[in-house]
Amino acid sequence: MSTVSPAGDEAVRLERFTTRIASGDQIEAGEWMPEQYRFEALRLIQMHANSEIMGALPEREWIPRAPTLARKMALTAKVQDEVGHGMLLYRVAETIGRPREEMYAELVEGRARFHNVFHYPAETWADVAIIQVFVDGAAMQTQGALRSCSYAPYSRVLKRICYEEDFHIQLGLDVWRALAEGTPAQRAMLQDALNRWWTPIIHFFGMPDRVSPHTEAMLAWRLKVKSNEELRQQFLRRFVPVILEYGLVVPDPGLRWLETEQRYEYTEPDWDELKRVGRNGGPKSAERLALRQSFYRQHAWVREALSRWSQAAA
Amino acid sequence: MTPRGVEAARRTEAPWVRTLEAADGVWAVFLQARRRDAHVHVGDVHAPDAEMALVLAKENYARRDPCVSLWVVPARAIRGTASDAADMFEPATDKSYRFGGSYRQQQRVYRGGYSAGPTEDDR
Repeated sequence: MSTVSPAGDEAVRLERFTTRIASGDQIEAGEWMPEQYRFEALRLIQMHANSEIMGALPEREWIPRAPTLARKMALTAKVQDEVGHGMLLYRVAETIGRPREEMYAELVEGRARFHNVFHYPAETWADVAIIQVFVDGAAMQTQGALRSCSYAPYSRVLKRICYEEDFHIQLGLDVWRALAEGTPAQRAMLQDALNRWWTPIIHFFGMPDRVSPHTEAMLAWRLKVKSNEELRQQFLRRFVPVILEYGLVVPDPGLRWLETEQRYEYTEPDWDELKRVGRNGGPKSAERLALRQSFYRQHAWVREALSRWSQAAA
Repeated sequence: MTPRGVEAARRTEAPWVRTLEAADGVWAVFLQARRRDAHVHVGDVHAPDAEMALVLAKENYARRDPCVSLWVVPARAIRGTASDAADMFEPATDKSYRFGGSYRQQQRVYRGGYSAGPTEDDR
């Protein structure tokens, strides 16, 4: 087989790899990849996996308090999906070269990062609607674009994830609609939740392109398919009408559509807050990590029992 | 397959054969959506044995869409062709004679008449 070269010159390999990615080809698990690609891909996918696990927490708080049985069942299903996404993603990250236990330990010990939005409280039932529509809607922009990323196992898992996220957004829009068509108190609760979540959601897409440190390299490797700002604009185009449709107020007085540039202008948020929150310095970071740690400890006996069972059977 | 079995198999394999790198306890999951379909690889699970792998596979891959059967296989037991050996599937010569669609002349002769495929009567 002529194409299977022995050890092969590093520079030749790198060039072939780069050409393949540029031509739209995808890399499979176990194939050679440059160290920088491995590092960036792992960072991206591990952060995504962490966010799915940590993202289950704010919504989980509302399962016992859901207003009806139908909402409770749907919310439970959604939370189960998110944890399932975490499982799929850690497995993908594993194929790039880190054991799952190591990544999980890093998360529960507070040494790893997860998405900014999951560091904030979910104070009312309306927060659940905001998370389902806008947080999952924001995630859908990023993850939808990444379905054409260069790492094949990640792109396959993202197809499944986006399919399930669509259910989350539809469910969220239904909760949103019920509150928006409800009593003045319900509408006020919805507006209040929107006001509190607006900045974190604008932050969600990351720093502006001009200061985002990894953008260029990530775009070149196709570990990013659209820039932070492109995704933020895509999100605004899709979701600002959802807010206006029910006569709610967009919490940014500076937000306006620029017809000539075909984009939204918005008030520059405090980017330092994003950096602070991203380093586990958000209002709920410590509490949620503590909860993760306590569950990890409480469930140690289950992991132990499973491994003993298999040893006994062997 | 035991780890020793995997090692032994690797030593004797051709360069275009690839063993999936996977930790102990990783199971590949194959899902059959309908009886008439083939089992398709949908992802993996971590489990200490096959029974637990099937339980986890059901929770992870069959909680919404149709499924009539699941298979689990230790991921390390899977052998595949290396992806950089994909050109081994390129035909060395023109293989158009293997396709029914290549026989245009007889199709013109028999057009509208003879068909070997299933018809309404076969239902």
